[in-house]
Amino acid sequence: MTDDLQVFWATYNTLVYTVGVHAMLALSIYLTLSCGLLSLGNAAFMGIGAYTAALATLRLGLPFGEALALGGLLPGLVALVIGIPTLRLSGVYLAMATLGFGEVVRVVFLNLEITGGSMGLNGIPMKTQLWHIVAILVVLVYGFVRLRRSKIGRAFEAIKEDETAAKAMGINTTSYKLLAFVLGAIIAGVAGGLNAHFTFFVSPREYGFDPAVDILTGAIFGGTGSFVGPMVGSAILAILPELLRFLKAFRLAVNGLILILVVIYLPNGIWDRKLFARLRRKGSA
Amino acid sequence: MIAQQLINALTLGSVYALFALGFTLVFGVLEVINLAHGAVFMAGAYAALLLVTKANLNIWVALPLAMLASGALGLLIDQIVLKPLRGRRAHHLMPMIATIGAATLITNAAQGIFGAETSRFPLGTIPEESFQIGTIRITELQIAIVIISFLLMLLLMVILKKTRLGKAVRAVAENPQTSYLLGINVEGVFRLVSFTAAALGGGAGVLIGLSFNAIFPFMGQPLMPKGIAVIILGGMGDVRGAMVGGLFLGVAEVMSVAYLSSDYRDAVAFGLLFLILLVRPSGLFGRVLERKA
Amino acid sequence: MKKVIIGALCGLVAAFAVATTAPAAEIKLGVAAALTGPVAKYGVPIRNGFTLASEEVNAKGGVNGNKLVLVIEDEQAKKEEAINVFKKLIFQDKVFAIFGPTLSNSAFAADPIANQAKVVVFATSNTVNGITDMGPWVFRNSIMEADVLPVTVREAVKKFGIKKVAVLYGNDDAFTKGGYDVFKVVLETQKIPVTNTETFAKGDVDFRAQLTKIKAQNPDAIVCSALAEEAANIILQARNLGITTPFVGGNGFNSAKLFEIAKAAADNTIIGGPWAAESVSARNKAFVAAYTKKYGAEPDQFAAQAYDALYIVAEALKAVKLSGNLEKDRQSLRDALPSVKIEGATGPFTFRKAPAKAGVETGYDAQQDAHIFIAKGGKFVLMK
Repeated sequence: MTDDLQVFWATYNTLVYTVGVHAMLALSIYLTLSCGLLSLGNAAFMGIGAYTAALATLRLGLPFGEALALGGLLPGLVALVIGIPTLRLSGVYLAMATLGFGEVVRVVFLNLEITGGSMGLNGIPMKTQLWHIVAILVVLVYGFVRLRRSKIGRAFEAIKEDETAAKAMGINTTSYKLLAFVLGAIIAGVAGGLNAHFTFFVSPREYGFDPAVDILTGAIFGGTGSFVGPMVGSAILAILPELLRFLKAFRLAVNGLILILVVIYLPNGIWDRKLFARLRRKGSA
Repeated sequence: MIAQQLINALTLGSVYALFALGFTLVFGVLEVINLAHGAVFMAGAYAALLLVTKANLNIWVALPLAMLASGALGLLIDQIVLKPLRGRRAHHLMPMIATIGAATLITNAAQGIFGAETSRFPLGTIPEESFQIGTIRITELQIAIVIISFLLMLLLMVILKKTRLGKAVRAVAENPQTSYLLGINVEGVFRLVSFTAAALGGGAGVLIGLSFNAIFPFMGQPLMPKGIAVIILGGMGDVRGAMVGGLFLGVAEVMSVAYLSSDYRDAVAFGLLFLILLVRPSGLFGRVLERKA
Repeated sequence: MKKVIIGALCGLVAAFAVATTAPAAEIKLGVAAALTGPVAKYGVPIRNGFTLASEEVNAKGGVNGNKLVLVIEDEQAKKEEAINVFKKLIFQDKVFAIFGPTLSNSAFAADPIANQAKVVVFATSNTVNGITDMGPWVFRNSIMEADVLPVTVREAVKKFGIKKVAVLYGNDDAFTKGGYDVFKVVLETQKIPVTNTETFAKGDVDFRAQLTKIKAQNPDAIVCSALAEEAANIILQARNLGITTPFVGGNGFNSAKLFEIAKAAADNTIIGGPWAAESVSARNKAFVAAYTKKYGAEPDQFAAQAYDALYIVAEALKAVKLSGNLEKDRQSLRDALPSVKIEGATGPFTFRKAPAKAGVETGYDAQQDAHIFIAKGGKFVLMK
């Protein structure tokens, strides 16, 4: 059995890393969603983090910790700068503006000398280890648990429920929204930095429109009732294509079918606590 | 050169508008960003291709038939995927996620059936030679696309503004619950809009497939971000806005190639959209309406 | 959760192990190709090329009596998937060597895995620079544009008396951008002035804005690095805009698709390469006929290169004495490959060591002669 486990780990460790990174991305978008912001900019922030961390390693020879820190810092700064004018938008208009921002970032990656154009950056050393990902996720989960009962968490909740009312209650909605946006960008950036250091390679097309939608899909699919749902949803969407590999040419079609079925039968996402409670009641009755 | 570039911008913009008309209709009435629109667009193109190559039909016979087929597909998506979610307290983005599932299923099934490679309509399906007017050159099909997209926009506007049916659609778009109380067949309106939007999308697929000789399972994919940009820039569900938004994107892209650099075309176009939204937070023709994320 | 997944996977693995066990000695070769998603149009012909060649080899009794078994996996042209597939092929399926992946971008992510695990990775469609710099286990038979384009440009200049050219290429795709980078150097060294350089993005179908700008500069030819479908559309739209100059194409032009879409409008397009569907060698004629019969479509160069790659590995395996020790056999295959010489569908083939890079041992590139082809009446013919 230990042999089997070794083979399993050698085969699927990248998948496990990917699941961890996707969970981080899900948390990053959950943070913005929990403050009522629909952002499609998280893939771009992930990209900025990935390129920054990779360049810090390749060009500056910085230790991994510092490279990751830079990979979180720069997206945070960019989010701060674009967040100030952008966050007065709401709903799909904000989604559109962040989508536009993402496209601009992608084109900049394509055209800068230092980012290697469409060739991207290759030869990024393998630095990410499982404990890095686990440790960061533990810290994040702890933070989210604390956040829920904190003043900030309640302010987010109030803004999400009704922004006008929140403002009337004296909540500085602009600062809180900016905080959620910037923190989301930092988490996405760190996730990008981690990803870059176990896939040897980054290129602009990994951070365009489709990945942006994928991140959102994972979160909504899992259920946005709590921070657990997005993590579960994105993990499932990362694993599903591997599980469906035996379907060969039809695996993506079946992937789509599963997405539809889950949405129809679990309209609040996979991690639906109300549903769990109902099932428990039914079970005990 | 400027005259030719303006024509290029007009035709490209009309292509975007044509794609966006059905897209914005669903968005306005069902309040769903229908990410399966690109898949329906592709299905329309393939339906016409089959009708022309296998059934030897004339393209102008195949076009309405293909629109019917893609309309039916749109209706199917609405009934199977979207209807179960209506009236349930789901996250308001859940329907969009469901359409992603539908898009994945349809495009990959199409790839299974038709293969991955690019096909084109047979030579001679339509006249392909361009002709010269002054310093500009244009094909009949390009002119047709511009005229058709304008006509469709006008037709939709007239129906929405002047007819009883249009009033019902607008009422449902405004508030489904109240419309129901007023005796409007809300589900009927949803079905009609889904069908019409998908038929328009399929028709766009045929015309664009004809025009650019590029029919393949993923042909709708590159148009999705542009389509979203166009309908949001135009304003939620506004038909006139989709047209203006499409033309704007066409002009922005062509002019940035012509006078700036083609390297930065998409950055210029999307950067401009970004700036416009900062000035007009609800799009060009958008109702000033706060909708929650 | 994890246990469930492990259980499910073990079950699957067991199911496959039972299904594929056969009595004779088997040599497993992995194929990682993009079989679903937008890149499948290149991945599918590649898979077809491998399948055809392996069936031919097995029909003739295999290699030293051993059967070749292909383990084909879809990598969707995504870097994480490519890594997953490589690891599955290496650690779970225990293949001798891996062919693929389809895109150069995925190769930069996945090839280090194979190199580290000491498994031959053989690229048939990765054309950009730097692929074989990744290590001594990386081989490729995909045409190096740097070998081909200098000849293509020189011959085109001679043929059409070209004084100045415009350049058009796809800048968000490693394949077409790689071609452009070579064109740029070639045009500089051959001192041919460039009127303007324009780009487009993957998925574009309307190239009129760029072409109108090019037309205003009145170049003698348009040098273009694009995939076949894009190239065909570019040519059609150029003709519609009244541009009559010939095109000089990169690697991507070399496909029957070009003519299927552009028809006679593609005439006078010049390309270079070791192979074209119309190459007259008996070996190639047999390949084209067999492929067309089996798949109902004409092969493209990716299919041809995949087909040849399998024969190259089969040839190397002839010299390998199987020890039953996987690590040793993988090493023997690696050692036998560099000296392989075959007469393939794409012509005579040998490897050459990639130029040394500081500190890193490099892999092997293809060494093939380039021929220049010109489009006439809907096909490429050898230019005299």
